[in-house]
Amino acid sequence: MSAGSEARIVGAAEATYERHPAPERETETFIAEAVVAALADAGIEHGEVDGYGVASFSLAPDHAIDLTWKLGLTVNWLMEDTNGGASGVNMLQHAVRAIEAGDAETIVLSSGDRLDKRDFHLMTDSYNKAVRDYLARLPLSGPNALFAFITERYGAAHGLEREDFACVPIAQRAWATMNPGAAYREPLTLEEYLDSVPVAPPLGRYDCVPIVSGGDAIVVTSAERAARLGRPSVGVRAIRALYNPDHQDGNGIETGFSTIRDDLWAAAGVRPEDVGAAFVYDDYPVMVLVQLADLGLIPDGDVKRYLHRTLLEGRWPVNTSGGQLSAGQAGAAGGMHGLVEAIRQLLGRAGERQVEGLELALATGYGMVLYSHGACHNAAVLERHS
Amino acid sequence: MVSECTACGYLAYPPRLLCPGCGGSSWRPRPAGAGVATEVTVRRPVFERRQLPSGEWVEEEPTRLGAVSTEGGVRIIARLEAGIEAGGRVALVRRDGVAVAVEGS
Repeated sequence: MSAGSEARIVGAAEATYERHPAPERETETFIAEAVVAALADAGIEHGEVDGYGVASFSLAPDHAIDLTWKLGLTVNWLMEDTNGGASGVNMLQHAVRAIEAGDAETIVLSSGDRLDKRDFHLMTDSYNKAVRDYLARLPLSGPNALFAFITERYGAAHGLEREDFACVPIAQRAWATMNPGAAYREPLTLEEYLDSVPVAPPLGRYDCVPIVSGGDAIVVTSAERAARLGRPSVGVRAIRALYNPDHQDGNGIETGFSTIRDDLWAAAGVRPEDVGAAFVYDDYPVMVLVQLADLGLIPDGDVKRYLHRTLLEGRWPVNTSGGQLSAGQAGAAGGMHGLVEAIRQLLGRAGERQVEGLELALATGYGMVLYSHGACHNAAVLERHS
Repeated sequence: MVSECTACGYLAYPPRLLCPGCGGSSWRPRPAGAGVATEVTVRRPVFERRQLPSGEWVEEEPTRLGAVSTEGGVRIIARLEAGIEAGGRVALVRRDGVAVAVEGS
C-alpha cells in the first residue's frame, strides 16, 4: 500500500465501554451502537453503506452476514476478521484495497464483545486448540503469566524495573482523566502502581487491562465521497503486516514489527520522527515498549530514558484515550480501540485531550497468542487531510 | 514429549501439521528432556471462582508457572513444582495432561 491511497476514513466511534453490562446488552448491541455512532460521526447515511466488516470473539453462532441482516445493510463487500488485537488494522488494510479497486465505496468496519466472567473464561481457556490442550489445564486462565515472562525478559534486556514499566500506565492514565469513556479515570500514582494487587509478578493489577464490554467502528470511503462531505478526513499512507514470523520459537520481545519497520516507513514516505502521536496495542505495558522500539520510535534504543523523559515527563502522545490499560479491553474491540482514537485525534475531535496540530499518526495491531506470545503484527501510518 | 521432524530435525511443541523448517509432514515423538526455567511467576486467578466449559464452578488457587528452555531449544510453558526458582535446572514430565517442571536434570 503506497503513500496517497485513494480511500479516506471519515468517521470513528466507540460504544460506551461497560464493566457490568445489563443482561439484555449483547455483543451485537454494542456493535450496533458503535456503527450508528460512527456513521453519525462521518455524516454518512445508513443507506450509503455498501461494505461491512466485523471482528468479535462472541458473535457465535452468528457471523458477519447475520450482523449485516440485523443492521439492515445490503453490501457488495463483506468481511469477518478473527485476529483479535490485530483485527482493526487488518480489516482497514483490506477495506482500503476494496475501495481502491471499486469493489465497494463506503465500508463500515466494526468490532465488539460482551464478556462476563463465564464468557471470559470460556474465551481464554479455548482461545485456540494449543491453549485448550496445552495451557488451559496448567491452569493458565488468560495470558497474564505469559506476558509476565515477556516483561521479565524485556526488563532484563533493557535494565528496567517495575518503577520503569510504571511509566506506561501512569502516562496513559493521565490521558484517561480527559476521556469520559475510560473505565479508570483517576490519576494513577507510582505508589498505587507498586502497591497494587499482584496478578502474575512482575505484573500487577495496573499492568493488566480491565475487562469491559463494548464496541468500536470506523467508516472508510472513497476520496471522492470524502471530498463531498466537505470536512477533514484521514488517509492511509501505508499499512504493513506480518503474521507468524517466528513460529512461536522467538522470545516475544523481538517481534515482527522490526521486520516490517523499514518497508512501512518507506511505503509511507515519512520517517518515524515525523509522526505526532502513536496508538499502539497495549495489552500490557511491555508490548507498548516493544512496538514503539521495533517500529523506530525509540531511535537511540534507550528505553528507560524514553519512559521517564519522553513518555512521562514529556507527555509525548501515546494512546491518548488512556489505551486499553485505562479505557478497558472490550475483547476484539481492543483491536480497533487505538485506531478509533487515532482517527478522532487526526480529525480534531478528541475534546480536552486533543493533540494540537496533529498531521501524522501511527496505529498498530498486535495479538493472537498462539502458545507463548502474539503472532499478529500490523501497523498503519495515517494522515490528516484537511 | 515434543515432536521432531523426521526430515530436518526441527522440534515442535505443541505439534504442527507441516514443518516450518522444511515443509515436511512426518514427525516422531521425542522426550522434551531437561532444561532451565528462565522466567518464573505465580499466577493469581483473575476471579476467585471460575466456571469450566462443563458448567461446573471451581475455586481458583495461585499457580507457579515458568517458561522452560529445553536443551533441544524448545520453550515450554510449564507448571512448576515447589522450590523451583528462575535459573534452576529442571526436568519436564507430563502430569494431569500438562507439562510439569520438576527438580533435576
